[in-house]
Amino acid sequence: MRKIIAIILSICFLGSVSFAKKDTIKIGAIYIFSGFAATYGQFAKQGLLLAVDEINKSGGILGKKLEVYFEDSHAKPDIALRAIRKLVFEKKVDFLVGFDSSGVAKSVVSYIKELKIPTIITHAATPDVTGKQCNKYVFRVSVNINQNVMAAAKIAAKTKAVKWTTIGPDYAFGHQSWEYFQKYLKQLNPKAQFMKTVAFPKVGTEDYTPYITSIMAANPDGVFISLWSGDLINFVKQARKMGFFDKGYTILMSLGAATEVLYALKDQMPTGIWVGTRYWFLANDSPVNRHFVEAYKKRYGVYPSYNAQNAYAAIYALKYAIEKAKSTDKEKVIKALEGLTFEAPAGKIYIRPGDHQAILNVTWGKTAYDPHYPIRILKPMVIFKGEEVTPPVSATGCKME
Amino acid sequence: MSEITLINLLNGFCYGMLLFIISIGLTVIFGVMGVLNFAHGSFYMVGAYLALTIIEKTHSFWLALVLAPVLVGVLGTLTEVLFLRPLYGRDVSFQLLLTFGLLLILDDGVKLIWGAGYHSVDAPRLLSGTVNIFGTSYPIYSLFVAAAGPVVALVLWLFFTKSTYGKIIRAAAMDREMADALGINVPAVYTAVFFLGSFLAGMAGVLAAPLRAIGPSMGDKIIIAAFIVVVVGGLGSFPGAFLGAVILGLVEAFGVQFVPKIQMALPYILLAAILLLRPKGLLGREG
Repeated sequence: MRKIIAIILSICFLGSVSFAKKDTIKIGAIYIFSGFAATYGQFAKQGLLLAVDEINKSGGILGKKLEVYFEDSHAKPDIALRAIRKLVFEKKVDFLVGFDSSGVAKSVVSYIKELKIPTIITHAATPDVTGKQCNKYVFRVSVNINQNVMAAAKIAAKTKAVKWTTIGPDYAFGHQSWEYFQKYLKQLNPKAQFMKTVAFPKVGTEDYTPYITSIMAANPDGVFISLWSGDLINFVKQARKMGFFDKGYTILMSLGAATEVLYALKDQMPTGIWVGTRYWFLANDSPVNRHFVEAYKKRYGVYPSYNAQNAYAAIYALKYAIEKAKSTDKEKVIKALEGLTFEAPAGKIYIRPGDHQAILNVTWGKTAYDPHYPIRILKPMVIFKGEEVTPPVSATGCKME
Repeated sequence: MSEITLINLLNGFCYGMLLFIISIGLTVIFGVMGVLNFAHGSFYMVGAYLALTIIEKTHSFWLALVLAPVLVGVLGTLTEVLFLRPLYGRDVSFQLLLTFGLLLILDDGVKLIWGAGYHSVDAPRLLSGTVNIFGTSYPIYSLFVAAAGPVVALVLWLFFTKSTYGKIIRAAAMDREMADALGINVPAVYTAVFFLGSFLAGMAGVLAAPLRAIGPSMGDKIIIAAFIVVVVGGLGSFPGAFLGAVILGLVEAFGVQFVPKIQMALPYILLAAILLLRPKGLLGREG
């Protein structure tokens, strides 16, 4: 009996595949849409829809319109896995984009390989998904931890700070950021010291004052901060009140130039602090970027955040790859994505075939006041070439089959 | 004691007092009505969002501190009258489901009104400086929050022990039927108590606003801390909420200083220990 059911089911399944009209390209998008970090899903959705509407208005890709289905990951691995299953088996999407949390990304990449569904990661920055966990189906168009932190180390090496400590979120992202910061800075400046007193508050910490007290009591020269999103805002507000920014520490915030943070803090964000990001809307004067910033601001009323740009860039990466492959066949699109070079708002993006990591410029800068902008901007701005801050494939631990 | 220890004593107390103002609302509602309000953290969140709007419109933190809690109180009153009242005779699980549903609705509601992004308000100018304590500059605003806790505790204590209304509420809490028989309008008392509890949640939201990012679901984390406080202190106990809040604040602060590796687990270890050794809480009443 069971065999008969299985046969009937598989016939139905095959039937639905062969008879389904393929005049659209379906994309599944998984981001955080609820809870304290919901703003990241919203930005990604906005950037994504901007790209999709632009592409559909100009005739789609190979004459096929794009169709997008959004799912909420709740920043939880099990829910993200359920969302993938729903998108792949129910909605029958051709491609996946998404993933904000490194924790989520790390736990879904092996399942993506099993499903053989080409996926572009646009936010999660853990090196592992294009490193030791890399696989044929997983790509990333955004800046990862290595790139962002290598740039941080280059800046740190030029400052006078010797004794360094960190404040970061207590999960993969925070610990890996600090690990790479130490590794890279030690190479660039052998005299750098890394303190025993470090702070890894849990995600969603309400009260940072004990952490701020312990870091201030340790009296460091430099503080590398990998807190991000609402956690970074909570931290900055409490640290500012405690005089943390008046002690003359060299401060580097690896995601301090995220516009959602700058918009929330406005003039409560101290000036003269080194901040990094994965896309800065003023870093690139190319026509593609000018168009993107203008169109985004017109449609949504704010300057685009990195999550919006990354999602926008992912859709265009798919477009160029499908056009290059002249097919939506998954295996052919993967071949086309490997080694693809395209122009995104963030600048030229090259997808390295060896580990599927994007090589692109990385922006850092010092926070500054500018009367023309409602938020802090970066002045001076330091732009690192992608090749300068990306470790070679051999150092990533990736073995692409 | 080292300087760090003294500062952390203060850090823990300041955070504890914020927890107290949230927890006391939770415990008042539970103590009198027997309702465990899961949406209490959402009322706290709404308080912070209302403060944001009031401060943006009027540039007055003080107006927000007066007005926002009242508005949250009104929201609580509507909730009690429209939704909770029909459920009093029924199984407790109905109330839990209702307040949990309310939590979800409010979390999405603020996203509809204020968007999914983060917002921030600053402390009023009067309180935005620092003072020198133990050789370190300490933010005046944190001390203000720390002072607000005992003030709230004192006002509530006077209200419940000295005023007629307070005595009526206690009577209704102790024996609903007898209070009814004595001519006390118990449904009205319940509504008033729910107003008071929501008012306190809203007030905690306003007080917390200058210290943190205002964003969707911002109440979810702190409500867990508030539940720990009331369980540790004793469900429905006033002094228990105060004691529980101070203990939890200090555990968080000193955990960071002395045992940073297991700091995250400490509140839960505390909770588990209390449940095992003294299930009714440190100052909980029998029964």
